[in-house]
Amino acid sequence: MSFKTTFIGAVEIGTSKIVALVGEYTGREIVIIGCGECASRGVIKGAVVDYRAATECTQSALELAERDANERIDHVYLSQTGAHLEGFYNEASLNVKAADNMIERDDIRTVCELAKAKDLPLGRMVVHHIRRPFRVDGRLVPTSPENLVGQKLEVGYWTVHGQEQRLADNIHVIRGFNLEVSELVLSSLASGHMVTSLEERQNGVLAIDVGAGTTDYVLYRNGAPHTTGVVAVGGGHITNDISIGLRLTWEQAEKLKLRFGRAVVQARDKGEKVWLDGNFSIGDRQFPRQAIEQITAARAWELLEVVKRRLGHAFAPETCAAGVVLTGGAAKLPALAMCAAKVFGTAARLGEAPSWVNENLRDPGYHTALGTLYYGVSVQGERSAAGRGRGGFLQSVTRLFAST
Amino acid sequence: MSKDIEAMPETRTWRDIPQQVRPRAMSREGRRRVAMGAVRAAVGAVVLGGAAWGAWEVAAVLRENPAALPDSAKTDRVKSLVLVTDGVLDRNWLARTLAIPSNAALMGLDLIKLRSRVLADAQVSSATIVRNFPDTLTVRISERSPVARLMAQSGGDAPRMLLVSRDGVVFEGAGFDPAMVASLPWLDGVKLVRRGPAIAPIDGMDAVAGLFASAKLEAENLYRTWQVVSLARLASDGEIEVHTRGGMRVVFGTNEDYLRQIARLDLLIDASSDPTRPLREVNLALGSQVPVAYGTAAPTLGDPAPASRSAAPVRPSIALPAFSNLHADANREL
Repeated sequence: MSFKTTFIGAVEIGTSKIVALVGEYTGREIVIIGCGECASRGVIKGAVVDYRAATECTQSALELAERDANERIDHVYLSQTGAHLEGFYNEASLNVKAADNMIERDDIRTVCELAKAKDLPLGRMVVHHIRRPFRVDGRLVPTSPENLVGQKLEVGYWTVHGQEQRLADNIHVIRGFNLEVSELVLSSLASGHMVTSLEERQNGVLAIDVGAGTTDYVLYRNGAPHTTGVVAVGGGHITNDISIGLRLTWEQAEKLKLRFGRAVVQARDKGEKVWLDGNFSIGDRQFPRQAIEQITAARAWELLEVVKRRLGHAFAPETCAAGVVLTGGAAKLPALAMCAAKVFGTAARLGEAPSWVNENLRDPGYHTALGTLYYGVSVQGERSAAGRGRGGFLQSVTRLFAST
Repeated sequence: MSKDIEAMPETRTWRDIPQQVRPRAMSREGRRRVAMGAVRAAVGAVVLGGAAWGAWEVAAVLRENPAALPDSAKTDRVKSLVLVTDGVLDRNWLARTLAIPSNAALMGLDLIKLRSRVLADAQVSSATIVRNFPDTLTVRISERSPVARLMAQSGGDAPRMLLVSRDGVVFEGAGFDPAMVASLPWLDGVKLVRRGPAIAPIDGMDAVAGLFASAKLEAENLYRTWQVVSLARLASDGEIEVHTRGGMRVVFGTNEDYLRQIARLDLLIDASSDPTRPLREVNLALGSQVPVAYGTAAPTLGDPAPASRSAAPVRPSIALPAFSNLHADANREL
C-alpha cells in the first residue's frame, strides 16, 4: 500500500534550551532528518515570560531544523510543561443498556463522555484526557470492552489541565513563525514514552524528567499513564543553591555542578578542594568538594522527595515493579539514580533512548523532543489509517491553500 | 442517557485557543513565511487557472470551428508528398488517393481523413501520415502481396480480375508486374461477400497461402502448372483442390504437412511417366493412402473410337473458374 511521505515537526520549549526536530514519516518508520537547538531565553520554569526573546530562540531552532532537513514544515507538535499544569482523576460508571448485557459502542461512548465531563475552574483548559483501563463488573479490560458481557461498565480519566494564558503564550510563540500547532503533548508523557518499554509500563514504572526549570513525572500502571505531574523545581535550582551557598555567579555555579556535583555524597575528606576553573586565571579559586556534593545531594534528594510526596498513595514500590526511570538534562547528575532508589525504595536507572535514535540525539536532554515527535507520528499514523481511501487530488489542493 | 450527555458541561480544551496571531506579533521570518505562502498560493492559483483556461479555449476552438486556428499555422502549403512503402505503389497513386488541393496548407490537413483515404485501398495494410515542417507530407505504408487471383463480376459490368492476399483480403491490385500476376493461380469455389464498401476477407486463405509457399519453395516446377485452386471443400472437409494446366486434379489436405504431400505428388508424377496413362486424379488428403486415377492419352486424328467408358479421353474437369461465384449481400452484387 502506498503512503504519502509526511514531514513532522516537534518542538520543546525548555528552560535551558529549545529543541526542534523534523522527522520524515514514510508510513512504516520515522527518520529524523533535521535537528535545531538554541539556548533558551525568555522562558522560566517552562513558562514564556519574554515573548520576543522566546520567539527569537524558538524560531532560530526551527530554522536550523528546517535547514538541516532541507524541508519546510507547516505544523508542529509542541511539548508542554510548567507548574501551571495540574491533573485530577474522574471516573464514571453506567449500567449496560442491552438486555443481553453485551456492551455496545454507544455504552462506551457514553461512559467516556461522563468521565470526561468535569467543570474546570475559570481560566483553566484541558490539555490531555488520559484514559485508564476500562473495568467491566470490576474486571480490568486494557483494550476496548465492546462486545464483552457485563452489567456495569466503569472508566476513569486522568485530566491534565493548564492555565489558558500560559498555553496561549506557548502556542503564539509557534504561530509567530507561521506554523500551526497540531497537538500539545505533555512533556512527561513524551519523555516517559521514550525511556520506558511496553513491558515496564505494564508492570508499573515511574518516569521522572528532570529539566532545568521543572521536573515532570508520569506514573504508568497497567500499560497506561496513571498519574502525571509537574514540579517547578529542576536542575537550575541546584545551580542556584551552589551559587548562593558558595557565593558564585550562575555560570560559575553551573560549571561546578557539571564538573563536581553528585546526587549522593561520596567525598569523605573535608579538606579536599577543587578549582573553579583550573587554569590559574585571575579569580580562579578553590572550593571544598564535599560542600559541593552536599549541596547538590541535598537538593536532588529534596526534589525527588517532592515528587514522591506529590504522588502520594498512587506510588508504592510494590505497584511499581519496573522501578524509576530518570531522564532529562539534569538527570545526568552523577548518582541521581542511586538517590532515586533510596528515596523511592525501588530500583532506579537512567533512561536511554530507543536504538533507532541517532547517536547525537541520545542525550537525556533530547528525550522530550524525541517523545513529542514520536507522539506526532502516532497521531499521524492514526489519522492516515482513518482517512485512507478518502479525499484525493481535490483534498490535496484544498490542503495546499488551507495551509497558507 | 443521551440527555445526560447533552446536559454535561462543555469542557474547554487548548484547541479553543485561537491560533491566529496578529502580524505585529510575528517575527520577521514569520512574516516572510506568510508572504511566501501567499505568493505560492497565488502562483499555484494562476498556474492552475491558466492551464484550465488554455484547455478550455483549445477545446472550444476544436469543438466549434477547427478552421479558427491561428493563421500562422496555416501559412505553409504542401509542396511535396513523400511516399515510403514496402511494395509497388508509387507517388502518382498517392497523389490520386489523397487528392489534396493545390493550395492546401500543411497545418490545415485533416490527417485522420487522409489516412482513411489511404486505407480505403485494400492493397494498403497500414499507413502513417506525418507532417514534416515546413511543407512536406510523408506517408508511410505497408502493402499486401497477392498470392492468388480471381475473376469477379458485379451486375452487368464486365468481369474484372481481383487479387487475393495471404490474409484473404481481396483487392484490385495496382502497380504489380503483369507477368507475376499471370503466374498466380486462380481461385474457385469462394463466395465474395460485401462488407461496407469493400469485400470481406476470404476465410482459410492462410492455409492456401501456406500450400502455395511450400510448393513454390520445394517444387516450383509443380507449382507453375497449377492453374485453378478450388476452396469449395476447404471449410467442410479441409481439402484444397488444385487443377493443373495438364488437366490433373490434385486434392491436398490441410491436416497434414504440405511438404510431405507435395513430396508424394512429385514421386507419383515421376513414377507414372507413361504418356499413354497420364495421371488424372491424385488425392493426397487421406494420409499415407493415396488414391490415384489414370486417364488415357488424348485421342489423335485417325485413332479408333474408344471402346469403353474407362478408355474415353478425359475432358479437362475445369477450364477456367466460373464467374458465378458471387454471393449477394445487403441486396448488392458485385
